[in-house]
Amino acid sequence: MIAGFARTFADSGPTVHVAPAQVFQLGHYSITNSILYGWVCAVVLIVLFSWIARKVTVKPKGGFVQIVEIGVDFITNTVEGAFDDKKVARRYVPFFVTLFFFILFNNWLGLLPIVGEGFQGHSGAPLLRPFTGDLNGTFAMGVLTMLLVYGASIKESGGLLKYLRHFFVGSPKNPMFFAIGLLEMFTDLTRVISLSLRLFLNITIGEIVIAVFSYLGHVAAPVTALPFTLLEFLVAALQAYIFVILSVMYLAIAVNHSASHPESDDLTEDDVPETMVAQTTATGGSVRG
Amino acid sequence: MAIADAVNTAIIGKGLMIGGGFIGPGIGIGLIGGNYLQAVGRNPEAAKFLGQALIFVAIVELFGLLAFASIFIVK
Repeated sequence: MIAGFARTFADSGPTVHVAPAQVFQLGHYSITNSILYGWVCAVVLIVLFSWIARKVTVKPKGGFVQIVEIGVDFITNTVEGAFDDKKVARRYVPFFVTLFFFILFNNWLGLLPIVGEGFQGHSGAPLLRPFTGDLNGTFAMGVLTMLLVYGASIKESGGLLKYLRHFFVGSPKNPMFFAIGLLEMFTDLTRVISLSLRLFLNITIGEIVIAVFSYLGHVAAPVTALPFTLLEFLVAALQAYIFVILSVMYLAIAVNHSASHPESDDLTEDDVPETMVAQTTATGGSVRG
Repeated sequence: MAIADAVNTAIIGKGLMIGGGFIGPGIGIGLIGGNYLQAVGRNPEAAKFLGQALIFVAIVELFGLLAFASIFIVK
């Protein structure tokens, strides 16, 4: 018995996939298992939420509808709190609420036992895979979100040149400020990668950790994998929230900044914001006192 | 015989990668959590900023996850 037990740990380890596998081919496009599951989740989301939209009443009756309402309210408050102007915020609320629930649904439905290695198609590859556990999927989400952020920022600041002007602290003719502005623009582009990599790695590594611990548990796999599944339940909700709040912040920074400087004025040394002047005088006074 | 033939260096490399890669985020998340609790202890009103503290946890955590993801590149 001990020999059999030792042999269990001696073989190559649990099967772990980081990349999605092709399930079938549609014309020239290969449909991977993550795309398939993304479609399933999207259909479930559309059907469920159009049903809920008809059930919502002014006086809440409780149940599942109210739980969804709490989530929608939470994201709405987050978006409205980030913007200075609530009317501007209202325009972007539907996108972020949809994004939040799409990521949340994909993450949570990805924890089901039928998703992943446990449920394989005839080719030997897993038939279903969480859509957020695929770099292609999260990268598409990141690109789409940042395109919306850039488009909205350009629209709110009133023109491409006025938007680009916000990257430069002083006059762009100064080579120092010009270099800093270019660096700021490059930093802005890395947000796409950081947004998508964070979501992808969190979900994929969650899947791997669950796979490793159910492998180590052998017969007692449900017991050993349960704590990590519960942890992933929390991480999934947290990552959906973080993806949304980071993209809201990227948008709010650009929009609020353009609202506070309606004209493309040149910030010179004597045009320091009032709060900075107040701070310098306050610290100066305390040193003297 | 070269040492690379006798020892599976990839395994050692993966171990070092995970161990080294998680030191930084471990310290970082500890600092964030500690400072959050300190802020709450001094000023209980600050307890509502837990969501913002979690954002920084997510930013820090990414670097640890990058180290974890890199072990699949090592052959």
